[in-house]
Amino acid sequence: MSTTLRWSVLTIAMSMAIAGCGGKASLDPAQQSGAAPDMPAAKNFLVPPMQVPDKAGWKDGQTPKVADGLHIEKIAGDLMHPRQLYTLPNGDVLVVESNGPGTEAVTTPKQLIAGKVKNLSGKGAKGGDRITLLRPNATGSWDKHVFLEHLHSPFGVQLIGDALYVANTDAILKYPYQSGATEISAPGVEFADLPGTVNHHWTKALLASPDGTKLYVGVGSNSNVGENGLEVEYRRAVVLEVDVASRGSRIYASGIRNPTGLGWEPVTGRLWAIANERDEIGADLVPDYLTSVQDGAFYGWPYSYYGANVDQRVYPQRPDMVAKAIKPDYALGSHVAALGVLFSASNALPEKYQGGAFVAEHGSWDRSPLSGYAVVHVAFKDGKPMGAPETLVSGFYSDDEKQLFGAPVGLAQDKDGALLIADDVGNTVWRVSKQ
Amino acid sequence: MASGSASMARKLAFAMYGLLNPIPFGMFVAALIFDIIYLRTGEVLWNKAAAWLIPFGLIVAIVPRFINLGFVWAGRRATATRIDKLDFWLNLVAVVAAIFNAFVHSRDAYATMPAGVWLSAITVALLAIGHLLIGAQAASAEATP
Repeated sequence: MSTTLRWSVLTIAMSMAIAGCGGKASLDPAQQSGAAPDMPAAKNFLVPPMQVPDKAGWKDGQTPKVADGLHIEKIAGDLMHPRQLYTLPNGDVLVVESNGPGTEAVTTPKQLIAGKVKNLSGKGAKGGDRITLLRPNATGSWDKHVFLEHLHSPFGVQLIGDALYVANTDAILKYPYQSGATEISAPGVEFADLPGTVNHHWTKALLASPDGTKLYVGVGSNSNVGENGLEVEYRRAVVLEVDVASRGSRIYASGIRNPTGLGWEPVTGRLWAIANERDEIGADLVPDYLTSVQDGAFYGWPYSYYGANVDQRVYPQRPDMVAKAIKPDYALGSHVAALGVLFSASNALPEKYQGGAFVAEHGSWDRSPLSGYAVVHVAFKDGKPMGAPETLVSGFYSDDEKQLFGAPVGLAQDKDGALLIADDVGNTVWRVSKQ
Repeated sequence: MASGSASMARKLAFAMYGLLNPIPFGMFVAALIFDIIYLRTGEVLWNKAAAWLIPFGLIVAIVPRFINLGFVWAGRRATATRIDKLDFWLNLVAVVAAIFNAFVHSRDAYATMPAGVWLSAITVALLAIGHLLIGAQAASAEATP
């Protein structure tokens, strides 16, 4: 019997081991950046490539690393999952402390297991559902005020005149704001509803048009690639345009899997977005991107990526939609998880960081070795991105890739032109300035 | 006394085997039916339902598989027939197919197809052959006293 038992156990153990082998990345992020990234063929796995460092947090005095010529300092700590930053006209900085509402039902065994694995990194920590205000004081440090509480997984925040718009996960709320206020106690008015069911991707990025007549909202998909049924994708994976006067909204652009950040390119005045592309078809697929967002355009999700690269996981296949899909402008690298974008015409950083986009890369579970976990700068020329992204802030994980100290998310520029970075794993706001 | 308690344990094992052994088979058959429906309709409900049935079937199979291992290979009186041994191996291969199938069913949307439906069909076919052989063996044992 013992021989049989041994053989049986060995057979089962071996089949589980074979099933457990995920793939490793063979391309580095620089090879997968720019207008025409290298892309291998899509592959289905038994277990997708996976690597999740454990949350360690920052030790006292420990900071991320910055590129030569830069200086980094911590301006606020002990926050509750800070995701987004927004600088008010008087120089106060709003810190949106938030995380997903946890309303997505567990409908597959994978969700049950993957949820536990991903949370090891600290990315699933409870959000504060509030906004904290930071104000620089005479001593050079920053005072912290609780600005707005009892929100519902807020993300985007924009000021138009004396109205502050906050994008909760299910609605845009409007609050009265007076310059210099350190607190808003007036109740918010629901300004416009947003797609709020399931909330597989829950963040609602928000951007006002320069003339204050429109609000643009980045709404992520309700699945990786349609596995929750296409009926839950109504008004999902889109950029919505909300008319501020009428409060009506329309789909401005679609097929963008998870547009987590929006910005105005300063030279052309065009709308741009960062987006997180699909998972589980390879460590080198699909590169996340930075793109101009054209009115009425379709960017492929879920049927295809980068134009006509068809995703076989979607049923039914839609060659008619694939034919319509346009290519995004600029790849950032696979699974870097771009979660913050800041276009900066001018700032107080060295010359090479002028006029271009800063992108915060949060890092993803679906890649080995790790990629992202950095803030990069994409140079622009005549309103178009050029060259490879250049890393200015890194060192968010240990050299052995086992421990995670922090992860960059939202970006803003303070009134002195320094770059501010929200770090939702380290619960910190960092300030990067010229050395 | 010792042989009395050993016999009690054997009876209990038989009873547990009778209780638990049919459950995984039923689950794998249901998974196969759901896979066929998903293959034809793309309606994600069926894909997700099959994705639960396969790992649950495997978990429930652990106890009856070990009991079967004991009966077939550890009987001191060597009562196991060739058919009993063949049934053991058919079950083992079916379990391996179902393990792979559980991972295949963790893929998103239509990426489970067609591999998932093939693995479900193989699992069910192997178990069905085992059940048929064991059933036929029992029938012939009854016929020849």
